[in-house]
Amino acid sequence: MKCVFDRSAVAAVGLFTASLLVACSTPAAENPAAPAGSPFRPVASIREVMNSVIDPSVDEVWNAVGSVVDQGGLTDRAPIKDEEWAEVRRHALIVSEAANLLLMHNRPVAPPGAPSLAPGVELTPEEIRVLIDKNPEGWDFYVQQFQDSMTPALAAIEKKDAQALFDAGEKIDETCENCHQTFWYPKAVNSSR
Amino acid sequence: MKTKTMLVLLAFGAFFAAAGPALAHHAFAAEYDVDKPLELKGTLTKMEWVNPHGWLYIATKQPDGSTKNWTIETSGPAQMSRRGLKKTDFVAGMALTVKAYQGIKDPALANGRTLVLADGRSFYIGSVGGPNDGADK
Repeated sequence: MKCVFDRSAVAAVGLFTASLLVACSTPAAENPAAPAGSPFRPVASIREVMNSVIDPSVDEVWNAVGSVVDQGGLTDRAPIKDEEWAEVRRHALIVSEAANLLLMHNRPVAPPGAPSLAPGVELTPEEIRVLIDKNPEGWDFYVQQFQDSMTPALAAIEKKDAQALFDAGEKIDETCENCHQTFWYPKAVNSSR
Repeated sequence: MKTKTMLVLLAFGAFFAAAGPALAHHAFAAEYDVDKPLELKGTLTKMEWVNPHGWLYIATKQPDGSTKNWTIETSGPAQMSRRGLKKTDFVAGMALTVKAYQGIKDPALANGRTLVLADGRSFYIGSVGGPNDGADK
């Protein structure tokens, strides 16, 4: 088992690095200087980190367990082989560590000139920036809540407990939505996950 | 990576690949039209009991006799479980009625609010933060 996890950790670093390279391949023209003394040099915007790193991997964590009803009846699905659990763990690690990327306060919200993805419903990147800058502690709180929501998922994966991994999915989604409602579409009273 | 291991991972990825349309997290009003409420009566072709949202796939008969297939987003499975709905309540081919709001970009996509099964049981299947239409009462 240890050998599997060691390999998966190495693979996770590789995949995470590859994901970042993909994210960075879309130029985010704005590349603000890091705060004095900070070694961090963000390249991708928050939107790009979400779309290229977090979304694809958290989907793999969510979709790893579930059930389908179709003409063949009810089918439960879950990782079975060590390699399958290791694959899910890689994605869970990517999500968990990518949360740290969101804590770099000089990361731009979106590439320069990028519009709101839902004008009139979701804020513009400039408006989101204002909200984050007005409430950096709140931003950190929601990001860390999101990161913490991955802990039960990682524990479930460690135990190869499919039901526990399934149960962890709701909290992950809840923490996503809490942050989005606060910073992305606070005026959309009627919002959905 | 050894070929065998690669094949296992590819097969695993294919098996778990599809769970509903790939929707990023957006506000309800960004994806669904609150001015286009629907009542869909049809038969279940598929149901996905998966996080972060469940998905119902239903076929409805059109006035001209043709069939229209709908993809309906529901709340998460844990929320539906707390409301008394179970994955074993679903069988392909069962009749059901869904009240929903139509998608803005995809007219065959909808966000479910209430589900009525053939045995008459009714469940709220809306997502947190949906329109205040009383469906959750």
